[in-house]
Amino acid sequence: MMSGSWLAAQGRLPLAFMSLGLAWLVIATGLLAVEPRLLALPHTHPRVIALTHAWVLGVFVTVACGAVYQLAPVALGTTLASERHGWWHFGLHAAGVPGMVFSFWRWDLVLLAHCGFAVGVGVLLFSVNTWRTVRQSGRDGTVARSLTLAAGWLLATVVAGLVLAANRYWNFLPIDPVALLRAHAHLGLVGFFVTLLQGVGFQLVPMFTLGEVRDWRLPNIGLWLSQAGLVGLMPGLAWHLGPLALLGALAITTGMICSAAGVRRALATRRKRALDPGTRSFLRGGLGACASGLAGLALVAPGLPWGSAPGGFNAMVYAVLVVAGGLLPCVAGMMCKIVPFLTWMRAYGPRVGRGPTPSASALTHPGIERWGLGLQFAAVAPLLFGVWRLNESWLLAGAWMLAAGTLLFVADMLAVLKHLWPAFGPTPARATASVL
Amino acid sequence: MNTPSDAAVVWNALRSIPDPEFGVNIVDLGLIYSVECHDGDIAVTMTLTTESCPSGGWIYEGAKRALAGLPGAKNIEVAMVFDPPWTPAMLSEEANRQLGRIA
Repeated sequence: MMSGSWLAAQGRLPLAFMSLGLAWLVIATGLLAVEPRLLALPHTHPRVIALTHAWVLGVFVTVACGAVYQLAPVALGTTLASERHGWWHFGLHAAGVPGMVFSFWRWDLVLLAHCGFAVGVGVLLFSVNTWRTVRQSGRDGTVARSLTLAAGWLLATVVAGLVLAANRYWNFLPIDPVALLRAHAHLGLVGFFVTLLQGVGFQLVPMFTLGEVRDWRLPNIGLWLSQAGLVGLMPGLAWHLGPLALLGALAITTGMICSAAGVRRALATRRKRALDPGTRSFLRGGLGACASGLAGLALVAPGLPWGSAPGGFNAMVYAVLVVAGGLLPCVAGMMCKIVPFLTWMRAYGPRVGRGPTPSASALTHPGIERWGLGLQFAAVAPLLFGVWRLNESWLLAGAWMLAAGTLLFVADMLAVLKHLWPAFGPTPARATASVL
Repeated sequence: MNTPSDAAVVWNALRSIPDPEFGVNIVDLGLIYSVECHDGDIAVTMTLTTESCPSGGWIYEGAKRALAGLPGAKNIEVAMVFDPPWTPAMLSEEANRQLGRIA
């Protein structure tokens, strides 16, 4: 078994990423609550791009990278190839992303290049670390493949983003910048997030529900369909090749539906009948991602009246559905499971066998968690309606509902993290384990 | 007071170790394959839900610590095996009840 010192160090890096992601969640939600009218602007507006990067790069990528640092070694039965490189990644990410969001907001392309380069180097370290971890495990299979592919796509997304920014400055590529922006966004959304969820979902859901994946055909088909689709969607979006983009979107959406069906089968085998709020949120996010896929399909479908004109079904409606209806519930649900577990590992792991210890789920307040996640998800409807109809009242209602949900969610997560400081830890009366 | 030569005492001691995710103790979770006691020597064979269970190290150390704390315990040997692998079918009736599997 692992030595005590290794055990004591375990979880520090993913917890640092989770805490940073939590801070970004407060900033990104705050930005939206103060400026809900940003959602009524076109998706190419610099401040909308700043808001998008606060959410996607600040919240989702930060939490997802922390989750990979924790889950990849667990899923692959190995240790992280280099924790030191992980900490370098953390430092570069923590310093670079705020600069990127600020430079988008102020539209300062020189500052953006510097900060984007720092984030890019961090992502390079992350991708190489993930690949090395997969390689040293010697494992193959859907989870290992999804980790490898997701790390590659994330790196490609950052490179595409840097090229996009450089092209705005020097104009060396004869490509429509809006088309390239869409391709960059989908490299990240589908390449990193969907690919990751299509693998990690089959690790997380059975692990947290005591279920099994008895048949890997659906997960495998789902993963390969989304990869094939992405390869078609990218050039289709970048060079306005409508039929190719449509075929790509069709393959991706079908792949996501296959993965969802695979998760449903795994859930049917579960021993833990009642699903906790975190798992429910993760599953809701999966369904939201599938719905986003269908919305994306409608956007690239030829001959349909919807396009990118404001005041109708447009790219902003799709983006809100992806971010608030798909990614946020998935990522928040993951945090509800990973943060208490990592906190338990550090705060209570050393106490096992010495006295009563609470379970990881006992560190959360399920009521607050349920309300927080519920309000966040309920905010999707008014936000979508507000963006669709360009209605400021609905946008304000949605943004404040999201802020209320986030406030409760963050309060719950902070109460969990408080256990890391013994002075604020719980009394043994909260323990759930049976004792002699 | 019972001595560790009584296997029931050892099983009870192991029941004090919870799985952090589900709050079910490791005996009812089916992680303990065998317990042998002889003149204060205790040999336990156990497993984990998965080979790479992230809390496995703490569960293993905790099990050893709980057994070492038993009065009269001399040599403690805890063997970790993954053959046969753990499956949800190894959950006890009590664990199934706690997890809401049976009413």
